[in-house]
Amino acid sequence: MDILLSSIVAGLLLGMVLAIVALGLTIIFGVMDIVNFAHGEFLMIGMYTGLLTAQATGIDPLLTLPFAALVGFLLGVLCYYGFVKFLLRGPMIAQLLGTFGLMLLLRNLALLIFGSEDRALHHGILVGRSFDLGMGVILPATKLAAAAFSVVAFWGVWMLMHRTKIGKALRATALSAQAARYMGIPTERMNALAWGIGCGTVCIAGALIVNFWSVSPFIGLLFTMIAFAIVALGGFGSVPGAFFAGLVVGLITEIPGFWDFFTYTFNVDWMANVPMTSFKYMWVYLAYFLIMVIRPRGLFGWKQ
Amino acid sequence: METIKNTFDFSDFPRIDLMVAGGVLIFLLAFPLLSHSSFAMSTMIQFLMFSLYGMGWNTIGGYGGQVDLGKAQYVGIGAYTTAVMLIRWDIPFWVSMPIGVCLAVGWSFIIGYPLFRLKGHYFAIATIATSLVLKDLFEAWNFVGAARGLEISPIKYHPPDFLRLIFKEDIYYFYILLGFFLIGILYINWFRKSRLGFQLRCIKDNEDVGRSLGINVHLAKVKTYAIATAFVSVVGSFHACYIKNIEPEDTMSLTISIMIALMAMLGGAGSLWGPIIGAAVLIPLKSYLKEWLGATAGLVGIDIIIYALIIMLVSAGEPKGIWGIVEKARRRKRK
Repeated sequence: MDILLSSIVAGLLLGMVLAIVALGLTIIFGVMDIVNFAHGEFLMIGMYTGLLTAQATGIDPLLTLPFAALVGFLLGVLCYYGFVKFLLRGPMIAQLLGTFGLMLLLRNLALLIFGSEDRALHHGILVGRSFDLGMGVILPATKLAAAAFSVVAFWGVWMLMHRTKIGKALRATALSAQAARYMGIPTERMNALAWGIGCGTVCIAGALIVNFWSVSPFIGLLFTMIAFAIVALGGFGSVPGAFFAGLVVGLITEIPGFWDFFTYTFNVDWMANVPMTSFKYMWVYLAYFLIMVIRPRGLFGWKQ
Repeated sequence: METIKNTFDFSDFPRIDLMVAGGVLIFLLAFPLLSHSSFAMSTMIQFLMFSLYGMGWNTIGGYGGQVDLGKAQYVGIGAYTTAVMLIRWDIPFWVSMPIGVCLAVGWSFIIGYPLFRLKGHYFAIATIATSLVLKDLFEAWNFVGAARGLEISPIKYHPPDFLRLIFKEDIYYFYILLGFFLIGILYINWFRKSRLGFQLRCIKDNEDVGRSLGINVHLAKVKTYAIATAFVSVVGSFHACYIKNIEPEDTMSLTISIMIALMAMLGGAGSLWGPIIGAAVLIPLKSYLKEWLGATAGLVGIDIIIYALIIMLVSAGEPKGIWGIVEKARRRKRK
């Protein structure tokens, strides 16, 4: 029972963290229909920003969040005006490969500047602390803080999208860029804003994740794929969908834990011999594939 | 008769194209006889391999307009079939390659059938998902060596072994691959003028019009996907014999899938010469940049930075690729 409960809690916590990683991707996809392969690279940049600012200034890693958000926002806007704007004129294949080129560029720039070794954060008020809730459930403080910030970020983005004029303009651009242009909405600036918000949130996610995950220039692709799966599951362009899909994917990554639980509960020999941990992310990709085949617009999708 | 005529008929290209193509062919045939470094030789083999991959991708992605980013899984299936059969049961390449093609095509039917209900972005990223699932399975499957991969040790055989494709000198590999390359060009030349080729171009322009003309759109896509798969799988089998050391990471990763699509797009998707031009530019660029900047200057990653900048420039500036620039210049001349 302990394993089951701790697996569920760990899965939900990780799910909230993964959801905030996917938030930016779903905003960018929703507003301008572009699949961003470089998404994980922005996460990596956020992680390095958080790590290096915390190490250079000696302040607590959590206080670097606004700085990471600013870096992400500016970088996103810069990427839009410098590069993505030109991609949008081309066919879909050029958009896919163009963002792949951006991914290679950012990853190797990071490799050139920071070197290839893993780096981790060793100080901060949250690092190394945890709450023991009994029943085998242990909540690491870093993950708990990240999950809490994720909820706040989702609430903020939802409020922005649904309660402000800018959000209305963003949603109008997402529905039909041409009609929005006729209504006097500066769609170009809305696209740039979407890139800014998207990259800003993912950099916040990076600065949170670096508290419990070591960073290297190659970390991006794994998160990009997981974020794709979450966005596909939740529906392309849907903000609440991304949150719930994040929880689902978090639980899916805990399948090895559930497997152990059933192995011990029913005492089945053959189940103990399956190397479940090596399939950890395969279930995520499988869920992603199945949802694409069965319901391509996702669980909460509103865009056809 | 008509088929044979179509296969060898290149007369719809301008004469200058054919002269350039003939010149390149003579260069390729004579290349091993000229003095060259072994590095240049391996770059040439890489170039031929990737232009074949690109040609395969070009059938579905270029002529059909269905962006497929999961081709690496078929490289993996081809490579692993050949390697497993050679290592475990000593089955020669010329037997295991067709079996690999059958397995790959079978798998392409299984996943292509549901996937082709999707369009555009949705199709592209769903193909990535299948490729990732297969890669993770191979990384955990002990029969195929899990994440360590398989190694064909050349000591057990007596090179030159033409049945198992085990050679000491790269020159044999080069000529065998050149044979595949020429067959590939002839096949694509037939394909673009075949019924399926015309159907695909119609589907690319407008699917609904195609359907109203009585084309079975879904079947045409699945068939072409199988053709593309066969191309990729053959080269995958060759890859196993040439590299002799295969791992899931360097045969089935997303990077390989995207490289394959890149060849065709940068050269010009939907044209016969596109993937060849793309591979001829990108592969030497990549390996020589790595040799000059990465190894000698000691700057890790700077070769890929330049490479990435070129990809970004082309996809933002001229999405029709190098062949698109040539055609634009020609149209201007005609006016």
